[in-house]
Amino acid sequence: MARASLTSALCYRDPKAALKWLEAAFDFELVMLIEDADGNLAHSEMKFGDSLVMIGTEWTDQHRSPASIDGLNTQTVHIKVEGDVDAHCQRARAAGAEILMEPADQFYGDRTYRCRDLEGHFWTVGAAVKAVSREEAEAASGLKIQGWM
Amino acid sequence: MSSKVLVALRIKAAPLRVFEVFTADIGAWWRPNDLFSFTPRSPGVLAFEGAGEARGEGVRLVERLPSGKVFEIGPVRVWTPGERLVFGWRQATFAPGMDTEVEVRFEAVGDETRVTVEHRGWDTVPIEHVARHHFPDGVFLHRHGAWWRDLLESLRQSMISPSP
Repeated sequence: MARASLTSALCYRDPKAALKWLEAAFDFELVMLIEDADGNLAHSEMKFGDSLVMIGTEWTDQHRSPASIDGLNTQTVHIKVEGDVDAHCQRARAAGAEILMEPADQFYGDRTYRCRDLEGHFWTVGAAVKAVSREEAEAASGLKIQGWM
Repeated sequence: MSSKVLVALRIKAAPLRVFEVFTADIGAWWRPNDLFSFTPRSPGVLAFEGAGEARGEGVRLVERLPSGKVFEIGPVRVWTPGERLVFGWRQATFAPGMDTEVEVRFEAVGDETRVTVEHRGWDTVPIEHVARHHFPDGVFLHRHGAWWRDLLESLRQSMISPSP
């Protein structure tokens, strides 16, 4: 599999639990796992579509799971799905995701929802449901938009 | 055996077919890696010797070297076509007591097969051993995992566009 130019690496207190959770909630598939002599997770990668995420530990003093810093996040990962966002949301909810925003149509043509995982990472999930031009998006949002694709 | 490298990918074929190609055609899809040579005279051609004769009994993974010699990488411990394959894995420099093991699982997922390789037991090979190239443990395991990923990708490619 060709590697995308950007890959997110997320920190978890219990990354092995996260691997199971992310498979159950988001249908991510484990493609690499490295454990040290004590059985601790040293590195792992999960695949979804044409992308990877790396799931790791709090491996330095500067790497923390939201679970260790009062739920704060400094970035979020967006999942682009093909198909039914509402079904995706139901699956995530069944796996224990806290749904922060129920699926809703957005002015830019996607239907999205937002949730929080087992350690407090925020995830947004969306699928394109309607073709929207830049002019339509600007009119609907009141924003000036550059770089519309 | 706790130290572990796991890699997995999907191949668009039935589990039994993937198992057959993994075992019978390993000499074709295997890609040697200088960092992980089995012997100083490697690379040769890999083969599961004895396969198909006694349903796994006495089967062993070997490397047939250019010199004509045959190096045993390890005996097959589990041979369940279409499901599971377990074999020993040692390099010529391993001392007694150093032993690693590879387990390959073949699981149907829709019309694809998820192939998972789990290579465990590197904790039996001391970090200062020549086979580890002075890499820190995590780096070594990561490099080894990357090689397994390339190997499975080669297996996958061989099943997409079979050699003439």
